[in-house]
Amino acid sequence: MKKKFDLSRLTRSKVTWAVVAEVLVLLVCLFVRPDFFNISYQPATGMLFGNIIDIINRSSEITIIAMGMTLVIALGGTDLSVGALVAVSGAIALKFMRWDVIIYNTPGDYSVYPFFLAIVVPLVVCAVMGLFNGFLIAKGGMQPIIATLILMVCGRGIAQITTNGKQFTTQYSPFRVIGQGSFLFLPMPIIITAVVILAVYLFVRKTAFGTFVESVGINRKASHLSGINAQMVIFIVFALTGLLSGISGLIYSSRIMSNDSNNAGLNFEMDAILAVVIGGTSMTGGKFSLLGTVIGSIIIRTIVTLVYFFGIASEATMAFKALIIAVVIVLQSEPVSNYIAKRTRARAAKVALAKGGVK
Amino acid sequence: MSEQNLLEMHQIEIQFPGVKALDKVDFFMRAGEIHSLLGENGAGKSTLIKCLTGVHHKDAGTILLDGKEIQPQSPQHAIEIGISTVYQEVNLCPNLTVAENIFVGRQPMRFGQIDWRTINRRARELMARFRLDIDVTRPLSYYSTAIQQMVAIARAVDVQAKILILDEPTSSLDENEVQLLFDVMRDLKAEGMGIIFITHFLDQVFAISDRLTILRNGHLIGTYNIEDISKVELVTQMVGKDMDAIFNLKRANVKPDAPYMLKADHIGAPAKIDDISLDVKKGELVGFAGLLGSGRTETAEMLFGVTHLSDGTLELEAKSVKFKKPYDALVHGMAFCPEDRKRDGIISDLSIRENIALAVQARRGFLHPLSMKEQNDLADKYIKELGIATPDAEKKIGELSGGNQQKVILARWMATDPKVLILDEPTRGIDIGAKAEIQRLMLEMCEDGVSVIFISSELDEIIRCSNRIIVMRDRQKVAELYGEMCTQEKILAIIAEGAAAAGGEAQ
Amino acid sequence: MDKKTNPTRQSLWSKMMNPKYIMVYATVGIFLLMYLFGTIAFGSKGFNTLRTMTTLFVDNAYLGISAVGMTFVLITGGIDLSVAAVASLTGMFIAYGTTEMGLSPWVCIAFSLFVGVGLGLLMGWVIHYLNVPPFITTLTGMFLARGVCSLISAKSITIQNSAIDELAGWKIYFMHLQDGKWVKIKPIAYINFSIILFIVVLLVGMYLLQRTRFGRNVYAIGGNEQSAKLMGLPVGRTKVLVYGLNGLCSVLSGIAYTLYVKSGWNLSLQGGELDVITCAVIGGTLLTGGVGYMVGTFFGVMLKSIIPALITFQGDLLSWWGKIATGLLLLLFICIQKIVVNSSNKQSDKRSQKKLSGQKE
Repeated sequence: MKKKFDLSRLTRSKVTWAVVAEVLVLLVCLFVRPDFFNISYQPATGMLFGNIIDIINRSSEITIIAMGMTLVIALGGTDLSVGALVAVSGAIALKFMRWDVIIYNTPGDYSVYPFFLAIVVPLVVCAVMGLFNGFLIAKGGMQPIIATLILMVCGRGIAQITTNGKQFTTQYSPFRVIGQGSFLFLPMPIIITAVVILAVYLFVRKTAFGTFVESVGINRKASHLSGINAQMVIFIVFALTGLLSGISGLIYSSRIMSNDSNNAGLNFEMDAILAVVIGGTSMTGGKFSLLGTVIGSIIIRTIVTLVYFFGIASEATMAFKALIIAVVIVLQSEPVSNYIAKRTRARAAKVALAKGGVK
Repeated sequence: MSEQNLLEMHQIEIQFPGVKALDKVDFFMRAGEIHSLLGENGAGKSTLIKCLTGVHHKDAGTILLDGKEIQPQSPQHAIEIGISTVYQEVNLCPNLTVAENIFVGRQPMRFGQIDWRTINRRARELMARFRLDIDVTRPLSYYSTAIQQMVAIARAVDVQAKILILDEPTSSLDENEVQLLFDVMRDLKAEGMGIIFITHFLDQVFAISDRLTILRNGHLIGTYNIEDISKVELVTQMVGKDMDAIFNLKRANVKPDAPYMLKADHIGAPAKIDDISLDVKKGELVGFAGLLGSGRTETAEMLFGVTHLSDGTLELEAKSVKFKKPYDALVHGMAFCPEDRKRDGIISDLSIRENIALAVQARRGFLHPLSMKEQNDLADKYIKELGIATPDAEKKIGELSGGNQQKVILARWMATDPKVLILDEPTRGIDIGAKAEIQRLMLEMCEDGVSVIFISSELDEIIRCSNRIIVMRDRQKVAELYGEMCTQEKILAIIAEGAAAAGGEAQ
Repeated sequence: MDKKTNPTRQSLWSKMMNPKYIMVYATVGIFLLMYLFGTIAFGSKGFNTLRTMTTLFVDNAYLGISAVGMTFVLITGGIDLSVAAVASLTGMFIAYGTTEMGLSPWVCIAFSLFVGVGLGLLMGWVIHYLNVPPFITTLTGMFLARGVCSLISAKSITIQNSAIDELAGWKIYFMHLQDGKWVKIKPIAYINFSIILFIVVLLVGMYLLQRTRFGRNVYAIGGNEQSAKLMGLPVGRTKVLVYGLNGLCSVLSGIAYTLYVKSGWNLSLQGGELDVITCAVIGGTLLTGGVGYMVGTFFGVMLKSIIPALITFQGDLLSWWGKIATGLLLLLFICIQKIVVNSSNKQSDKRSQKKLSGQKE
């Protein structure tokens, strides 16, 4: 009896479908490349090397943003500005390292301003921009999708203006560590991501913040009347998402050792939202799953990797991404999951009946 | 027999996951009859209606309309075969004009285009029939809920249906509007339409129906001519218990020297209430009577910091307090169960446990979380104490019945150990059993020294429970009644005519 | 009953002052202000000529066509992120089909229509019947369309086809009488195929939205989908059709864009869906659904496209200021919307209170 109950709960849980999808995609990978799961140690870089490591490494930027996006979506909103903030973060970091003056006109292993400024200022600016989103939504009462559309539209303009439209490059080694360094044999982005996941998890699940987010996301008015400061919850969530976009932007620009206001973080908002939704958090807000989001983000990256194996141009991966995402989303959709649950129940009942007959 | 009946529903069965919502229910209705459908919440009234309107599909049984079998597939299909419905919540589109709300989907066409002129003209005529003189080209959201409800009825009436279903249409209407609606219903009856009328107000049932059918727990209890049944019998049939046993309640015992718990001195807020003063003693239950929109809810919201005060002072335990937001009130030991449970009370997707712990947690702030054990203890305690019917504390509150949801909201506030508890229509739309239980709980809390402000539209429950009754009318406090003065006739007179007409006892 | 206030036919003035039109007036007003500003500041550079005006149309016809379809979708309370990708895909079909495969452009266009409308209908079906949020469904549609674009060709293809050249080069010049002869006005201004397509699509959109049951159902769904269902409106069919219609508009927009740039590129119009949505929003369409007008969308497109024009005329400013200006404009409009909605709510509170108490007496 107990077991049956668990089964129907599993088929109804959206995270389950995400895990199933990931396993399936991985199996296909294994089929295409039998050595898919191999991991080797590369002394040259001091890092472990392998497809799995690469997938997790490359999914870092999206995973980090998606942590914040999960909370935004749990509030019943969406944050479209994250991609633009990634560009802003990179632009400011490079601006501080290169500061457009004559003597620093060639890239090299130096930073004009202290390194911590190049790291802290972008993060603070991104958090403040997130606060701006939060302000429009909490105080202005705007729809999140519209409020964040504003920064999405002008964020890249701001990034351009920061660097006067220039694309700087740098060879400053401490900055390189963020995106290309390693720690404990693992690429630095994985470490950063792990720390972010842990921090966000502790923040939302070991305090009552997660419950407050869910509560406000389901019914803001009732939460307010119950004494929850809904505005503060919104402020914190959007500022946090801004900050996380900033971190993601630093990783991105450290990988390319440059700022790219046009392409940095392009479509990141879409990928992050997809990761959250594939991970089983409903776009209508309410209950959320951070674990699901991490899996969702990894699924997206695994698909991209898989498509590379077939030697398809990088932009075309989108089509395959779309197909697999479509399958996951259709499986998760209410009517289909209800149908599957009904079928499982019916089968269980049949089995029970058959057993009863035998007795 | 079957020639006479406009509608026959035979042996209807509907199965929901886990429950049998309707079990072999028969329902017969004649043409030109107003037929009330009665039962407590969860008795199966709405399920029966939704089966008729194609929202739910029956698992067994047959439906005959005019002697022909029908299978309503969808609301659209139901309307096509002549079954038209007005739901409890206004189911119209707020962004469309009044006229368009009446005609959308069946607009008169002219040269392949919508004939706007005819639509507006006919809408004006139709509204005139309801004695409503409004600009039909304004968006529906421009008007009050009562007018919106009338528009919904106008739409349902205008589709030339054979059967009109009115599902609690009167809950947002005042006395005059109810009479107006009854006039229209009588007209329609005379035209031979069959009307199914669902309401919680028993007086209205006796005022307008020809026959009534009672359901309980998905079973048919019986169909009666209105002359053949008394109110007490009716309620007994609905509840299945003896009424007196349920309502055997005693008012709270307030000592004459009890200190004042809450004192509001000439408080007011712009566009809400200009000026109202009131006080509540420790352990006292003060009832608020008055029609919907008379300012009862607005007063409660001012007391709880939902609306900012522009004038006046508020004293709690003889100390002056200022509430900027509900949180401030909560910290000071106030509690408030809002009027609209669905919209303002429950967090539907959260569990009973989380809902109960919410206010306590909000007061502590999110950085000081209640442990899982503390939450479970709270939940278990109140589930037992209030008799919340649920298998466990992890069930979503949205899946509970109305009465149980209300108990959870009550538990949320009881868990904060309030000094003052404001209950705005805590018993609306819940069945009689749960109603009595909530009244009992209120009185018990008074015994424990909590001051309760109790707002209700139902006079008998206010009279039954209150130590003192404040009567509101047109956003003003018009009277304050004690002990023997609290009679139904007196309160009705004050509500209808104002304090002066009722004879000067008012303050 | 009070006889004096008995409703007679309303005057045109009171009809026009209906609060539901305020947003449209705001859009038109700001557009006129901007135009006036341009005329005063850059009149000497020829800002106020017919040429500038027609150039606005020529440069943005594709945006306008797509915005018409988007308005429908937004009014239902949905969103469609796939429009730019589908337009880009259309360009790719035409470019690859005519130039690489030597097909007739009409075959390519027909195929594009089939694919675009089909994808739209499919997305509508998934949104309504599988209950998947529009944002996610159309995002997937966008990825799919972009991906197919790149599968066809990862490089830009310049179109070499006489029929396309002819269509793209077809112009009606504005003429005036000079010495008894018709000559082109100076500076030269003309109307091309894309402008005509835009105007036709706009007018058809207007007709559908205001004069047909389909259009009114679109509004009803946006107002309250549950109610629309209970009122017996064909909600599912309408929603699927709306996305199909938007697919059609995307393809037409893609045709206009292809004629404009005469090439197909897999990365063309990146982020274009947000430009389209921005146009609709500054045209007064609410993303919450239920409110929006074609006239507003038209002026939204004009307003969105006059900003880069002003920046070009100014000359010194860098183009990315355009992005910031658009963002600020969006902010401004959302604030106006907020204020309008709030004040009209307050009014309605007061008014219905009056109405009710008036009735009692």
